[in-house]
Amino acid sequence: MDLQYGRFEQILTQFLLKSIHIILDSRVPSTRPYSRCREVKKSDKWFNLALGDRPSALENLNFWHRNLTEPIIIDIILVQEPPNSSCGYSLLPTTSGLGTFTETVIERWVVQCEYLRTMTPQSSDVSYKKTYKKSIILLRSLFSMMRLLPAYKAFRKLSSTNQTCDFDINYKVSTFSVPFSRTEEELMKHYSFIPVDAQQGRFAISVTYRDNLSHFNLEASTSFPPEIITDYVGSPLTDPLRTFPSSLERRFHATPLLSRGMHSPSSVPFQRPHSWTSGLHRGVSSPQSQPLAGCPVLYRASYEVSSAISDTYGRKVQDCKSPAHYEAASSNDSYQLSPPFSPSPSPSPPAYLTSGNPVQTRFRSESAPVSIPHPIVGRSSRYISPNSSDPNRNSLPPLSPRFTKHDSSSQESPSGTRSLRKPDSLRSAESSCGMTYLGQKVSRDAKDDSGRFSGLLSSSDSPRVGFSRSSSRLSFQDDLDECDFSCPFIVDDVDTSESQANRNLDLRKGSEASSQAISSVRKSQDAAVGALVHMLRTAPPLRLDSSSYASGFEKSELESIAGAGSGFVLPRKTSDALEELKAYSEMKELLLCKSGSITSRAGSKDETSSS
Amino acid sequence: MNCEVCQLKELVSLGPPEPRQEVEHIEVREVLRCILHTILFHRALGLVRPKDVDLELFDITYVQCGDVEHEKKINEKIDHFIDRVEKHPNKKNQICLSFYEVKNKQATWFTNKVERHYWEQWYINLNTVQHPKTHSGKSHHPKVVVDPGETASEERNARRTALESSLREVLFQIIKFVNEKKDHVPPIPNLDGVSFPYEITISSSSDSAFGMDMLKRMLQTGHPTMLS
Repeated sequence: MDLQYGRFEQILTQFLLKSIHIILDSRVPSTRPYSRCREVKKSDKWFNLALGDRPSALENLNFWHRNLTEPIIIDIILVQEPPNSSCGYSLLPTTSGLGTFTETVIERWVVQCEYLRTMTPQSSDVSYKKTYKKSIILLRSLFSMMRLLPAYKAFRKLSSTNQTCDFDINYKVSTFSVPFSRTEEELMKHYSFIPVDAQQGRFAISVTYRDNLSHFNLEASTSFPPEIITDYVGSPLTDPLRTFPSSLERRFHATPLLSRGMHSPSSVPFQRPHSWTSGLHRGVSSPQSQPLAGCPVLYRASYEVSSAISDTYGRKVQDCKSPAHYEAASSNDSYQLSPPFSPSPSPSPPAYLTSGNPVQTRFRSESAPVSIPHPIVGRSSRYISPNSSDPNRNSLPPLSPRFTKHDSSSQESPSGTRSLRKPDSLRSAESSCGMTYLGQKVSRDAKDDSGRFSGLLSSSDSPRVGFSRSSSRLSFQDDLDECDFSCPFIVDDVDTSESQANRNLDLRKGSEASSQAISSVRKSQDAAVGALVHMLRTAPPLRLDSSSYASGFEKSELESIAGAGSGFVLPRKTSDALEELKAYSEMKELLLCKSGSITSRAGSKDETSSS
Repeated sequence: MNCEVCQLKELVSLGPPEPRQEVEHIEVREVLRCILHTILFHRALGLVRPKDVDLELFDITYVQCGDVEHEKKINEKIDHFIDRVEKHPNKKNQICLSFYEVKNKQATWFTNKVERHYWEQWYINLNTVQHPKTHSGKSHHPKVVVDPGETASEERNARRTALESSLREVLFQIIKFVNEKKDHVPPIPNLDGVSFPYEITISSSSDSAFGMDMLKRMLQTGHPTMLS
């Protein structure tokens, strides 16, 4: 009997996992692994339907869904900016110019095991083999149905690599959901798959979906071809310390992706949250929702920069990991169903908690400046990387620890550089949250997580988590590289003296003497700026006067400067000119006198000779 | 074991204006490929890697098993069907996809054929309508200014839209049938991909054997359960 129940539990758990995998795989592009291993893993053979790697968030399903009688509700949420956002009305001003956004549940899937109150003899005789066979058929029909419902078109638009969309698709997995309003119910249809009889109940899948998505105006446009912006970064001809306007900040965040040959978005959509809830619900219809009770706000997974970028970018460090760690009823499994299944540990998905308002957190994140870790001068070529293919990614420079110098409170970023900000701050924040599922290490290059976690959901040691969510396939490594590009564009506040000295430097750019002075004192590239500043501070006055030179200049340099004075134009004052004129006039008089005396002498000689 | 039969909703496809126009048979090919592969995907209960395929003419995505051999077999059958359509235009044609089990050979005096036990049959009804001739040299109204191109194009678009809607209904019908009828499916053999043997037969209403073929199957498999 225990063995039978163990098999039943195993089938049920895998059925739930497979169902969620099918649903997320067909609706949320970010959960799809970039590369699918050709060899089918054992865990993927369940129900004879090989889908590839599961979203990492599913690995911990058994942790937060311990009660198998509870239904699993998957909400597919369409996220859009409202049409009036361009009118200037927004709840929160953001530097990226993004306003509010609306979330609409366009599909609600319910996967559950309907436990029968009264166990009839017939139901108990249902063999697990029949249950398994019928479950295979049910999941096949679920797979096909996912492609027939209206939301599939939206998914395809998002997944398209050559289109940018003005919407996004998010999801939420929970055991509880907010009921639809009457208005919403009227717009939705319902379909229930025929349940599959099992030993302890029935496996059931149903969906409530919006039949018509046309009024959402899900637009997709062809994006611009990838372009490499070469003049923003470290060009010798540009001012390396120039402060970029905030309106271009978003573009700069996208530049690293552009430099890899990604498509530039015509517009950068908002950040997408994901959610996994455990008994806690959140009103998805309202863009502003209260923080989930019972758990402090850690951060909220941010939306992607753009779907097109992320999809094109869509590389995921998916090492073909071992099957999901499965604990429930695995001890009695001397019997193996169709896929021989050997549970093995796998990294836990990263932990998330939902914050109150993604706009707020986004605003916070964007307000945190990041200092330039090193001078850009002379290293411009580093940031111009036209390579977009995976192998070239390895050629990118390793990430400097200084790049991780971010505001720890900023949990999102419009550019997907979030992962770097997370590690330490997230760990500390999550441990303070009181998460009970500890001790699970998340590898640095873990898969894209597929949701934000709230409540008691996931482990705390998950540094990565939230960035690539809905339609992104950003891998962790990619985010590191992305930050490598984006950080230099974020300019720190520069001292006014330095900036002014820099301007003065531009004035003297063409001067040979200045170049000589600069070249003579420059010892290294890193000290160049400091030397320039020092030199400009101690620069000679307008009038060439050796007494007024600073001690920093050697005498030989002064002589060289003086020697070059003939070709060296100095601004002069009127008084200097008058004095010079006076001197010239004196010289003229002197010369005239001398010439006069010479002529008089010559005249007197002539007179004496003639006489 | 009873044989479950599913008569799919009839589809009307507009044939090419001229015979032997391969490009115009794309509509028929797409429809048949979509339906046959969808059915096969739901009955290929061995290990499969599903493959999404987008139709060119319709905004529909269907799923294939990803088995090249079966894809080739289906394409061959579709070619046969198109040949038949060309030979017998303006006829109601039918493709029958049958799944069977191989029963033990029973050597008899009359036949030593391998007996097949059909446990499921799908009938795809496709009506190919000849493209109407919009421009005729024998027009009795030469002064009537009519743009035959536009009219034909509009008509074709309207028919295609209707066909897409019907095709979508057929796919829903398949999913519904697959869900409702599960008990008759035999145990799954330990095979990858298409786990049950099947055959595809083509018939048309003009065939004298059209009804006989159905009758023969009914006698072989017992009383069928008709589902429309």
